[in-house]
Amino acid sequence: MIQSLAKKEYLPRQSKVALFYIALILAGLIWFTPVITLVLTALKDAGDFARNGAFSFPKSIRWENFSEAWETGVKNYFWNSVIVTSVKVPIGIVIESLAAFALTHMHFKWADRVFTYILIGLIVPMQMTLVPLTLLMNALNLIDTLTGLTILYIGFGVPFGVLVMRGFFRTLPVAIVEAARLDGCSWFRIFYRIALPLALPAVVSLCILDGVATWNEFILAQIFLRSDELRTLPLGLVQFSTQFSTQYDQLAAAVLIAVVPIVLVFLVFQRYFVTGMGGAVK
Amino acid sequence: MANLQQSGTAELVSSETAKTRKRTDDYLRRLPWAFLAPALIIYSVVVIYPMSYSAYLSLFRWDGISPTKAFVGLDNYVDLLTQNDVFWIALKNNAVWLVAALLLPTSIGLGLAILLNSKFRGSHIFRSIFYFPAVLSLAVVGLIWTWIYHPDLGLLNQVLGAFGLKALQRNWLSDPQIALYPVIIAATWNSVGLPMLLYLAGLQTIPEELHEAAKVEGAGPIQRFLYVTFPLLRETTLVVLAITAINALKAYDIIYAMTNGGPANRTQLLSTWMYFLTYNYNQVGLGTAIAVILFSLTLIFAIPYIRFMTRKT
Repeated sequence: MIQSLAKKEYLPRQSKVALFYIALILAGLIWFTPVITLVLTALKDAGDFARNGAFSFPKSIRWENFSEAWETGVKNYFWNSVIVTSVKVPIGIVIESLAAFALTHMHFKWADRVFTYILIGLIVPMQMTLVPLTLLMNALNLIDTLTGLTILYIGFGVPFGVLVMRGFFRTLPVAIVEAARLDGCSWFRIFYRIALPLALPAVVSLCILDGVATWNEFILAQIFLRSDELRTLPLGLVQFSTQFSTQYDQLAAAVLIAVVPIVLVFLVFQRYFVTGMGGAVK
Repeated sequence: MANLQQSGTAELVSSETAKTRKRTDDYLRRLPWAFLAPALIIYSVVVIYPMSYSAYLSLFRWDGISPTKAFVGLDNYVDLLTQNDVFWIALKNNAVWLVAALLLPTSIGLGLAILLNSKFRGSHIFRSIFYFPAVLSLAVVGLIWTWIYHPDLGLLNQVLGAFGLKALQRNWLSDPQIALYPVIIAATWNSVGLPMLLYLAGLQTIPEELHEAAKVEGAGPIQRFLYVTFPLLRETTLVVLAITAINALKAYDIIYAMTNGGPANRTQLLSTWMYFLTYNYNQVGLGTAIAVILFSLTLIFAIPYIRFMTRKT
């Protein structure tokens, strides 16, 4: 890109590079404005916000916004989200990898048909399942429980998980699996001693993508959690916003608390987002 | 005698091995099902069975509580199409949303991917910046943008005021004529990341030599894009369009967080209207009928996508 810009001789190369960067930084800043607004709002007190609006530097930084938001209920939402995500993701990955392994390496006659059946779940609008799920969860006494919600998350996670893991297992050389077979290794041993360790990058990617998706899920939580103390973060925040619609400082602090874990995961594991999505398309 | 005994033993032995082989064959044939069972069972119970049952429920008039359901055939669908004004608003909104989703995030994503594909100092930072909104939940995106659109304190009206464009200031989310568009912009901000990522992955597969060759032939940047890059991104584009369309039809959280379908149901989508009918008005039959219609619309984009994903390689 830079080279092609520099090829044309209207401007000296140096200033073209500078222009390129200035344009890009400007675009980046505009793109990031909502995030900057959020941070600025979370740091200032309500009076400052009312006088100067969202997009101005805080007169004085007010850290209490965070502790107050935390105590007003965000604490509960946060731990509920932590519990649901940390139970859902590992269980999901185990069952999804097992399934994906069977679909790719076990000479399974029905593999294509079963895979197509699983893919249907990727496209189903949630609305298509809500009413029967409400009846089912009612019958099982799982309405308004984190257990019930987690079970639903595991079920809805299967298609994407199988897709990503299958994409990876397909690149696993058949020769390795065959060699292990000839040595008398059982399928299950091949799965957890050979295939799964080799699939570690895919497993990490899936952990991240799935963790973020679970952390962010809204509609199932909205339908199946009724009591305030069980709400997960996205649901709790929307509720918080209707209850405290004028306390923008605290609401922004609450949103920021919800976003920070995602930001950390994103910064540390960035490249896995790419690997994971790549696997989903292969 | 000895011979006989021997052959008898051999026979016995061979039939024994045949039996064990048959048993191991059976075992091996069933084993993949055992690997698949946990995933398939929970998936079928949570996704497939409810989906089919919804289709069945859409043929009944039912409030969701009473023990009896009245079979009405396709009446719910007829009702929606002929007597439910909001259904038509929602359908139109879905169409607008879909068109916007197919044009905006995809082209912005492609543009950014091409811009950020070359290695220059800081390219990774810019990739992260532009991808970042994609990791936020739509509920959070909705809340943040609601502040931006706030009539008095919101950034948008402030900026317009600062540039002397007071005439353009609006009460963005409460003006029934335009409320849908600000929501679409917010959704676009969130959904650029995925196409960008997919296009970046697609661009990696295009060999540099092709560009060099085109350059030698005298092709400019625009020609190189039209005749080299874009044709080679055909598969990526197919996947991007399918995924964006499917996700666009699933849109729900952001409406709920920003406008809750209002003002005066002007920003209802099929997904939110389904929720209102089912859970606020106890019209389970109408609600499930909308879900079925929404699913059928999704299928238009999903069938080519699933075919692509299950293609033989």
